[in-house]
Amino acid sequence: MSNYFLLFPILFPVVAGVLVMTLFKGIKERKIKLGIVFVSLVVETAAFLYSLFGPEEGLMLWKLNDMLQITFRVDTMSRIFGTLVAVVWLLVGCFAFEYMKHEESEERFFGFYLVVEGTLAALTMADNMITYYIFFEAMTLTSLPLVLHEMHKAAVMAGLKYLFYSIAGGFMALLAVFLLANGGGLGSFTAGGILDPASLAERPGAVLAAAMLLVLGFGTKAGMFPMHGWLPTAHPEAPAPASAVLSGIITKMGVLGIIRGIYYVIGPSFLKGTWVQTVWLILSISTVFMGSMLAYREKVMKKRLAYSTVSQVSYILFGLAVMDPAAFTGAIAHVIFHSLVKNTLFLAAGAIIYKTGKTLIADLKAIGKEMPVVIWCFTLVSLTLVGIPPTSGFVSKWYLATGALASGVPVFSWLGPVILLVSALLTAGYLLPVTIHGFFPGADFDYSTLKKKEPTLWMLIPMVIMTAGAVIYGIFPESLLTVIRSAAQVLFG
Amino acid sequence: MAFVYNFPLFSIILSMFSAIISSVLSGKWAKRVSLIMVCLVLLMSSGLLVYTHSTGEAVTYMMGHFPAPWGNEIRFGVLEAVMAVFFSIVMLLSLLGGMSHVFADVEDTKTNLFFVLIDMTMSSLLAMIYTNDLFTGYVFVEINTIAAAGLIMIRQHGHSLVASIRYLVMSSIGSGLFLIALSILYGITGELLMVPARDGVQVLRESGNYSLPLLLSLGLMSVAMAIKSGLYPFHTWIPDTYGYSTTTASAVLSSLVSKAYIILLIKIYVRVFGYAYADAGHILNVLFVLGLVAMVMGSVEAIRQRDVNRMIAYSSVAQIGYIYMGLGLGTEAALMASLFHIMTHAATKSMLFVSMTGLREASGGKTDRRSLSGAGYRNPLAGITFLVGSLSMVGFPMLSGFISKLLFARAAIGVSGKMLPALLVLALSTILNAIYFLRVVITIYSPQGSDAPLDNVMDDEGHVLTPEAYQEAERAKLQTEGVFLAPKAGALVKNGPLMSVAMVLMMLLNFFLGLCSGPITEALLAGLRIFG
Repeated sequence: MSNYFLLFPILFPVVAGVLVMTLFKGIKERKIKLGIVFVSLVVETAAFLYSLFGPEEGLMLWKLNDMLQITFRVDTMSRIFGTLVAVVWLLVGCFAFEYMKHEESEERFFGFYLVVEGTLAALTMADNMITYYIFFEAMTLTSLPLVLHEMHKAAVMAGLKYLFYSIAGGFMALLAVFLLANGGGLGSFTAGGILDPASLAERPGAVLAAAMLLVLGFGTKAGMFPMHGWLPTAHPEAPAPASAVLSGIITKMGVLGIIRGIYYVIGPSFLKGTWVQTVWLILSISTVFMGSMLAYREKVMKKRLAYSTVSQVSYILFGLAVMDPAAFTGAIAHVIFHSLVKNTLFLAAGAIIYKTGKTLIADLKAIGKEMPVVIWCFTLVSLTLVGIPPTSGFVSKWYLATGALASGVPVFSWLGPVILLVSALLTAGYLLPVTIHGFFPGADFDYSTLKKKEPTLWMLIPMVIMTAGAVIYGIFPESLLTVIRSAAQVLFG
Repeated sequence: MAFVYNFPLFSIILSMFSAIISSVLSGKWAKRVSLIMVCLVLLMSSGLLVYTHSTGEAVTYMMGHFPAPWGNEIRFGVLEAVMAVFFSIVMLLSLLGGMSHVFADVEDTKTNLFFVLIDMTMSSLLAMIYTNDLFTGYVFVEINTIAAAGLIMIRQHGHSLVASIRYLVMSSIGSGLFLIALSILYGITGELLMVPARDGVQVLRESGNYSLPLLLSLGLMSVAMAIKSGLYPFHTWIPDTYGYSTTTASAVLSSLVSKAYIILLIKIYVRVFGYAYADAGHILNVLFVLGLVAMVMGSVEAIRQRDVNRMIAYSSVAQIGYIYMGLGLGTEAALMASLFHIMTHAATKSMLFVSMTGLREASGGKTDRRSLSGAGYRNPLAGITFLVGSLSMVGFPMLSGFISKLLFARAAIGVSGKMLPALLVLALSTILNAIYFLRVVITIYSPQGSDAPLDNVMDDEGHVLTPEAYQEAERAKLQTEGVFLAPKAGALVKNGPLMSVAMVLMMLLNFFLGLCSGPITEALLAGLRIFG
């Protein structure tokens, strides 16, 4: 257990980020600064991917005391989430090089952007609950400066809201860890659960309470009702690249926390059919519906996307709550697809703000004529999110629905797919108007005022790559699904 | 008898004599004597810790070899040694951190008195940790009170005079109650040394005689110590006292003085009355409930403060609540958690006071939230120290506050009837802590003046001001009043070398407690088992 290379992707970005924040004031030339950040990001991505797919050995780093150990190890879940983080972080970083031109204090942004990647690397590779919790809090704290970047009143208030929701959620998760600690819940993550069977039988109530607290606590980060309030406030205030990764990556760390807690510590077989599953299903289903409704009514672009995240991440949580191999496969696939889609959507919204300054959806008439590539990307990923074949959203929703139907959970096995369909309709309702008005502004529209406003390649290439990923995975999903299915098989025995 | 056995007595005597000598020295020399004394005490206590840790036994040391009832006793084991080491470290760091301000805040002719008071405080702290005699305990409680009142008063402006009078009145009530309780106990058992007193209590409990006076005695002692350590609702003296004293005094008072009383109280519970008796008399339940209330109310009050120094002081009320909550849980693990939290709070609170002084210097001598905006950029080291302290108070992992919370929560699990309230209040208190501490952290890292519109500022005619207009008006007002203006953003404030060293060491101490808590908790537990 001493593969010290695992530390590299965790520590390197932290060190690089701190250096960026402290030493960059002295460098005048913007190109040199960004060059250094770019090189750091590339090195980090390579190192991260190598540690994910390199030697299997784990690392026992430190003992806080006799029962708290900080350990890292890579398994299938780490590989899926880690690859996603590594790739998306690099792409969004490239987008930010251009976007942050019109914002102040770039050093701080890029510094913390790097530091957060270190905590994310630690999260994906964490091997027990306490390690996960520690880096979860570290992620909250280091991502906070990204939210309150602009430092005006609304941004600070949004940052505080983000912080308090996260701390409340974090502490619920910590309480769950405390409750699980006595039954051996601090051991190394193992598919199917690690709790001592004797303690499960002796105090099922405490374990169930812990499971509920885990779901609620990590669900805060994932934006699940009733702890979703921070998302629609924090996203519009953060700079576009930050909102993109908040929605696309950081919410997924809440999902990963739930997967680790429920599937790798407590074990799905214990929870299936209990009240925890019922409450979890009710919460996730109502979040799916409520998020879509609120998004449909929202007029500000980034807020609408934030509500959409609330709804979509709860698709994933619903898939996890069903506790069925097919639904699990759908949930994990949706993690990846939603991340690609939502990052692209936020980057597109950011590109529009950067070039035109428009934030309201009603102002976006004929935007497709001005920025065709951006709006084409927007359109394609919108269709993905709605779930129209052959895009990837269709694949994940197919697995979610068939899994739910096959699971045999009373009521929810049919109610879930119904809500998913209704929500898909609403998704079409709130995303497609941008495309429709963007390309077809109406007969009486005056085309003479339009100018070409396409952003530079730094912005376009990340969007195009992620859009391509979202669409192509829908046509050729099998390689990815095989990996997820094998993980699900181990989990459900 | 090993030579090490003399160390507790030596350190008490040494600090008392330093006080006596310092009274005729100049301020500068008194400072040196104090620093050397604290270092020597640290060395001796460390030696004692190494020795007691290797033997693992408690030693009773008879002064002058007179047996009871004439003699006076000192008793020490691992726990006492750990506390003595830790107290001298915190004392040393607080002295270093506030040194330059002592000479600025205190009148020139009285600086040696300040160090006399520090020496007296040190000796009484050590005596309360080591003594095995109830009456000696009382004497040093009084010495501690007088010294503390002096430390508060020595800054000599209106607020601190009022604060010290209030402190003196409240503390005297506490001392009086303690004396009454002691008289009752002496009256019914005829003993003042702790171990014979325990046998007396045992006899009374078995025979059933004097059951009411016995319970009354324990109850009064608990109330007395609760008043003196500032448990809610006896906390009213805390904010002024800690908020308006000079830096070293605030740090020492909040992190050490109030804790020594708690250690004495634990000693009385464990060694004299027995923990089971306190539990049976429902005194632990009362402490538990008051502790919970303090955890919430202290934080609520802290949220309402505009002055950050007072906010930090109110946060002490909440932290004392944690310690009493642990006492009230009544298990060995909970008691250990309380002891660990004593260390956590001592390390963190002194750090917060010292760093806040640095930030105050960078903000034109003001400590309200608005003036502090951007102070973290003007005094980077103090800003980072404050950040680490705040995170530790909130309980972020890898810092000592996290280990405290973890120990409390682990101790609470399985205590019937108290588990749920303890866990819920712990969670609530964490969130409240985060609200006020992190709000300040964000303020000190926002650009100057930008937090002004956080609460809408009105001018005289009731129009809401823009931030720029507000800043303009504020600067103009300050200039007409001839007040020293806060340095502009970008201008760095230099800390004295001692203060910088102290802040760095305090951060290291906090990380040490957070990362290497294993051996410390083991030592505390081992010490607790031989404490009785």
